[in-house]
Amino acid sequence: MGGLDCPHSSGGGIGLSYSEFLQILPGVGVADGWFVFSLLIGGIIMAIGVVAAKVTKMIFYKYYAPALPQDTAKNLGKVIYFGIIAIAFLAFTSSQGLDLSGLLVAGGIFAVVIGFATQSVVSNLISGVFLMIEKPARHGDTLQLPDMEISGTLLDIGTFSSRVRKFDGTVIRIPNEKFFTSNICSLTSSTVRRAEAMVGIAYKEDIEQATSAIKDEIRLTMPFVLAVPEPEFRVEELGDSGVNIRVLVWHPQHDWSQVQPVLLTAVKRALDKAGIEIPFPHRVIWQAKE
Amino acid sequence: MSSNDPPKELSRYGMYDVSESLELFLPNTTMKFERVGQNVFFYARTDSEGNVSEKMIPSKSDKLQIELAPIMPLNHPARRTSYALLRLDREIYLGQYRSASVLVHCPIEIGVFLAHGEDRESLDWVTCNPLGSRFGLHGPPDTGTLCKYAEVTLATDLSDSTPYVDGVMRILVENTLSVGQTVGEVIFSVAGNSIYYDDSKAILDGIKVTLKKRGVVGVADVKTEKIHTDWRRSPVWEDSTVHTPAGAELG
Repeated sequence: MGGLDCPHSSGGGIGLSYSEFLQILPGVGVADGWFVFSLLIGGIIMAIGVVAAKVTKMIFYKYYAPALPQDTAKNLGKVIYFGIIAIAFLAFTSSQGLDLSGLLVAGGIFAVVIGFATQSVVSNLISGVFLMIEKPARHGDTLQLPDMEISGTLLDIGTFSSRVRKFDGTVIRIPNEKFFTSNICSLTSSTVRRAEAMVGIAYKEDIEQATSAIKDEIRLTMPFVLAVPEPEFRVEELGDSGVNIRVLVWHPQHDWSQVQPVLLTAVKRALDKAGIEIPFPHRVIWQAKE
Repeated sequence: MSSNDPPKELSRYGMYDVSESLELFLPNTTMKFERVGQNVFFYARTDSEGNVSEKMIPSKSDKLQIELAPIMPLNHPARRTSYALLRLDREIYLGQYRSASVLVHCPIEIGVFLAHGEDRESLDWVTCNPLGSRFGLHGPPDTGTLCKYAEVTLATDLSDSTPYVDGVMRILVENTLSVGQTVGEVIFSVAGNSIYYDDSKAILDGIKVTLKKRGVVGVADVKTEKIHTDWRRSPVWEDSTVHTPAGAELG
């Protein structure tokens, strides 16, 4: 602070008041000095705001977010963070004595222009908000989007897009607008789900015997199939080669992989054990000379 | 095991000390403890479905104390619910303002616990009747309650349980309605029910089912009825399997 030693100071450089210091700077008036000072204060306010936002966000994620659904926690975290930033910004503008009314008018016009220019972005943003409010699916849900032929696990619903991990392990990003406007089939929102398989037996076979054999095999070898409601059998069609029977079984929602992929195997094994013929198409070919 | 091997004597429920090795036998199930190092034991179990489980057990001392005890039938084939649905083999008809008490065979599983004084740590579980362990649904598919399901038969007295397979439970049904009711099945949360054992027999806390009117709707109110017995109470099985959670994507 040696530069503050000057003939006008009453008690040396250290005793120099701030405005006195600014007055002695060549070309710098007191008003300009206050501007720099208030800018400095504003910077400190913004810095404190950013730090407070980060700390609050960190505390929220550490102590409160684990008790909330992941999507809610993520979005609430963003609201808290940007809310504090916004408050800090307002404090900053207030400290600078800025009148925001003109800015608001300009901002409104600007928003309209930006809105037209970035229609899809805004649409995705609005869709994201509605997805978060309506919650047609939650983080971790297994779902199908028949319109897009996508099946998988919902990873998250973000601000502009949602991510789904498909069953082949790849992650697909879906714009929120598409996600919101498409049909969503949730595979895990019900307590139980139904698996089914179709099998044909020869016309000569007894249907009751076949269904009884299948039911016994399912009871013995498929512990995830519900005993209540019982497996159901529907004679679906008297087909070209045999009688087609649809087998319907219920299982806990998370145990699809323990039931659907092995159901037909169990059905075939049951019919083999019972000696029941599974027919296949026969064709008799007549040659012209015969 | 050859067909000439003599039949193994089945192990009773209770406390066991392991210093070098120990074999426990349940119907179609074998458990083996073996010391493999200083304060380290090895546990192997083969169950009636051919499933094998092997675990290393570091111990604080050169001895291991374990408890074999009946537990609630919630783990096989996987833990999905804490509700049980018992379908009675014979329905009970209750006239107006009447009550009845029945004893039923309720399925059980068998837990293996590490004992540290009064504390118990869940090590393993088995079922000796996997075919009797199935799920059932009470209510519609979207909002119904998933339950462990069993078709139960009436028992003659509290010591009538089938060793290693079921325990006896008392069901008290009280009809406070002005019309007769038929009870064919009961659904209840087994979380509050304790199970007790003696030798290889088991009994469970009972339930009291009150048929009553709530507003204009008839409902069945189910409450646990603690049983008073000098049999030893089983520890509560707690799933101790550590699952590494997926990284929280919150940032």
